[in-house]
Amino acid sequence: MLRLIAKRLAGMAAIIFALTAVIFLLQKISPLDPVHAMLGGNASKAAIAQQRHALGLDRPILSQFWHYLGGLLHGDFGTSYRTRRPVGSDLGFFVPATLELAFYGLLFAIVLAVLLAFGTTLNWPGARLLRVVLLAGASTPAFLLAIGAIIIFYQHLGWLPATGRTDLTNAPDGPTGLLTLDGLLNGRLDVTVDAFKHLILPGLAVAAGPAVSIGRVLRSSLIGEMQSGYAKTARAKGLTEGRVLRGHVLRNSLGPALSMTGLQVGLMFAGVLVIEEIFSWPGIGQYTAQSIPVADFPAIAGVTLLLGVGYVVINTIVDILQAIADPRINI
Amino acid sequence: MRDDPVTTPVALIEDLAVTFRRGGRDIHALRGVSLDIRPAEILGLVGESGSGKSVLGMSLLGLLPGTPQTRGRVLVHGEDMLVAPPAVRRRLRHEHLGAVFQDPMTSLNPTMRVGAQVAEAADGSGAEAERLLKAVGIPEAGRRMSAYPHELSGGLRQRVMIAMAIAGKPSLVIADEPTTALDVTVQAQVLALIRSLRDEIGCSFLLITHDLGVAAQVADRVAVMYAGRLAECGPTDAVLQAAAHPYSLGLMTSRLTLESPRDTRLATLPGEVPSPADPPPGCPFEPRCALSTEACTETLPDAVEIAPDHLSACILPISEVRSHSVESRSVPHPPEPESGKHLPLLDESTVVVRRVEKTYRVGKGLAKGRLRALREVDLTVAAGESVAIVGESGSGKSTLLRIIGGLERADLGDVTHGRVQMVFQDCGASLTPWLTVGELIGERLPRAARKEEVERALERVGLPAEVAGAKAGQLSGGQRQRVALARATVIPPEILLCDEPTSALDVSLAAGVINLIAGLRRDLHMAVVFVTHDLSVARIVADRIAVMYLGRIVEQGPAEDVVGSPRHPYTKALVAAIPDFGVKPIPLEGEPASPLNPPTGCAFHPRCPIALPVCSDADLDPRLIGIGSGAARMVACIHPEVA
Repeated sequence: MLRLIAKRLAGMAAIIFALTAVIFLLQKISPLDPVHAMLGGNASKAAIAQQRHALGLDRPILSQFWHYLGGLLHGDFGTSYRTRRPVGSDLGFFVPATLELAFYGLLFAIVLAVLLAFGTTLNWPGARLLRVVLLAGASTPAFLLAIGAIIIFYQHLGWLPATGRTDLTNAPDGPTGLLTLDGLLNGRLDVTVDAFKHLILPGLAVAAGPAVSIGRVLRSSLIGEMQSGYAKTARAKGLTEGRVLRGHVLRNSLGPALSMTGLQVGLMFAGVLVIEEIFSWPGIGQYTAQSIPVADFPAIAGVTLLLGVGYVVINTIVDILQAIADPRINI
Repeated sequence: MRDDPVTTPVALIEDLAVTFRRGGRDIHALRGVSLDIRPAEILGLVGESGSGKSVLGMSLLGLLPGTPQTRGRVLVHGEDMLVAPPAVRRRLRHEHLGAVFQDPMTSLNPTMRVGAQVAEAADGSGAEAERLLKAVGIPEAGRRMSAYPHELSGGLRQRVMIAMAIAGKPSLVIADEPTTALDVTVQAQVLALIRSLRDEIGCSFLLITHDLGVAAQVADRVAVMYAGRLAECGPTDAVLQAAAHPYSLGLMTSRLTLESPRDTRLATLPGEVPSPADPPPGCPFEPRCALSTEACTETLPDAVEIAPDHLSACILPISEVRSHSVESRSVPHPPEPESGKHLPLLDESTVVVRRVEKTYRVGKGLAKGRLRALREVDLTVAAGESVAIVGESGSGKSTLLRIIGGLERADLGDVTHGRVQMVFQDCGASLTPWLTVGELIGERLPRAARKEEVERALERVGLPAEVAGAKAGQLSGGQRQRVALARATVIPPEILLCDEPTSALDVSLAAGVINLIAGLRRDLHMAVVFVTHDLSVARIVADRIAVMYLGRIVEQGPAEDVVGSPRHPYTKALVAAIPDFGVKPIPLEGEPASPLNPPTGCAFHPRCPIALPVCSDADLDPRLIGIGSGAARMVACIHPEVA
């Protein structure tokens, strides 16, 4: 286990280095000039040169690169050209909202995936309908689901809110920044409930695609494992099909589904950025969307690195979970 | 008689027919079988693949896959397992039935501790699970409760299966090929266990097996099945010594034993089992039966009593069946062109393996280890000679073959060899499924001569030329192994390497393949290196036998000598463990150690009945040394009685 974590930390360093290098290169070949974006089209040549010097853009590219990497080591992501604040504190402000949405998205995805897989594996009348849902879900883009959900559940039925993280104006802003958790920590159950209501629609919109992918993988391994020798043994003991599925087959089917979950988390981050736009969710999606047109390199790099690290962390957790599920795997 | 509790059968099968629907065709797996299983008896259900023996077992468990059409009744404790509601069948399985399946690795849940798996069958009681594990002879049962299946050896895993099967004192245990996946020394242990459990618990066993020898070992009665029908059923001694059905006789004569004549063609049954999709209207064995008459093709013969408690489904008079079987027993090989049996000179060697070592790195993390597959192995094969390498799983026999074949590289030592070709055990998997047989055989040939050469190769292996257009999936197992042989010999190699080519085949087909390999060897002047776990096969195919144990050759010499008068204690144990009629096997204790961590000194010493204290000495390195006259016979044992 420690070996795995050490290995992954080394991998993470390599990924951060590679990502930074790619972003640096992209910035250099991009026609967008951050100085122009900051000062506007009418700035004087002298002002531009001065700003360029202030940002360190007049130094050789390698020196800029090393400077930036050195900053990263001290937790310094640089200063956003757009907000003029350190990228680190910007991220600190936007990340919890995204993290909360992604967490609930993943949670919904896993719950839905298991329900879909079980529902279509056991023999019961609804299995066929669920298979249609699986197929439809797989072929519908997330933004379409999101818009459809807003129209039905917000506009027509009025059951659920569709914008922002909370309707409350006096919501606590600490200690974690995750509203559902902060509500509990501050003894404000109303905050938790309200935040959860706000999370349902965007969370489900984020979860739909991954839920279908994970569910299909889980379903096919469940079906395969239900034919296995040990399932036959379990039936020969006189167990019911439900107990064969829950007690024996499920744990043996988790491996591929866990791998798929790891992959889907990466895709889910991309999905979150779109969904945040639709639901006016104040997360890094909006932050990124506003940073890209003005070539706010430090902000874009900060978000990218964060996602890269998050991806490695999630996949390390997946590997550990796989080893827990299957005692034959040694990590 | 019927009401007597002693003779009321624990299970009664009446006119059972099971038909599956596969790919738009009806597969007649069972076609009217009646059978009773009596209290506290071991009934051996013998048949080749496709005979319906496993379907019969699953019918008894009420676990037939899918929704087949059924006829007849399968009574267990007064309930018909064919039509009882699922909850009733579950209760019967739980309270009155137990099951042991073939492969103990896949039949146990790999992610659940064995204690929990046994407890699940014993109504959740951990104490009862531990008692059961002790009862089936698992050493340190308490500690083993928390082991996962992959941490146990094959034999222990099968003991765990048996512990689950006998949980709750069932009246009947269905054991479907319980020893087929085990090494021969372990098989003898498991059979002995089944017998002693029957004596202690008093439950009946239905022992499903393809091996007449296994049935002979433990069964009180034997039922022989063929193509979904019962061919013969009766007391074990009567069926094995005075068989009444031509199929049982054919099975018996094509079976290889340590006494089978070596210099004759093995008796084989012509043809193959009829397709279960389209069974003939008459006796299913008629197309392969030497005694068939017009009447045999017309009606399906029912099993009739030919002696007390002895049934046979053949309409011919029994005297005629028996007299024929004697005269057809063996046909000699055509005379050999030159005196081929003497041991060839060393300078004609076509394979020389000298001090070869092979170590695999396996696992990672804490389980990382070095698997020592071969430890300083020497082997020489002369031109035209046939050598069998015999050993249990983990002995390194397949690794040695792969190194000779150039599929693996030795870490140390020298290997020289001529042109080689290989034939594998799983002939289905070793033929590319989307190529036709003609393309498979002809791919190494120049285009111009291809068609002609392919036809000649097919003719040599006894297949019609039309097979060239078929794909491997359309052929039967026996035909596929013939195609594999045609592919290997279309350009005759100097050495043909065979890795267990007959172990996946039924008895009657295996004999045919062995005859074919012998014939090809003679016609094409090839040397043959034949890897097998079965000493009786090795004795037939080989001039010389090399016995391997944990990466070493422990004994080698002329085939008849090695089998007839084994010297090394391990070879002796192997010979003694072969199940046969009228032989009481002496099971060897323990199981082969892991090649990850071979015992010090002589690797066999923990299981050796004559081990001396010095045998475990880390400095001891028993080498093959010649015994008797000449260098032909060699043994790696330091015991004074052996060397």
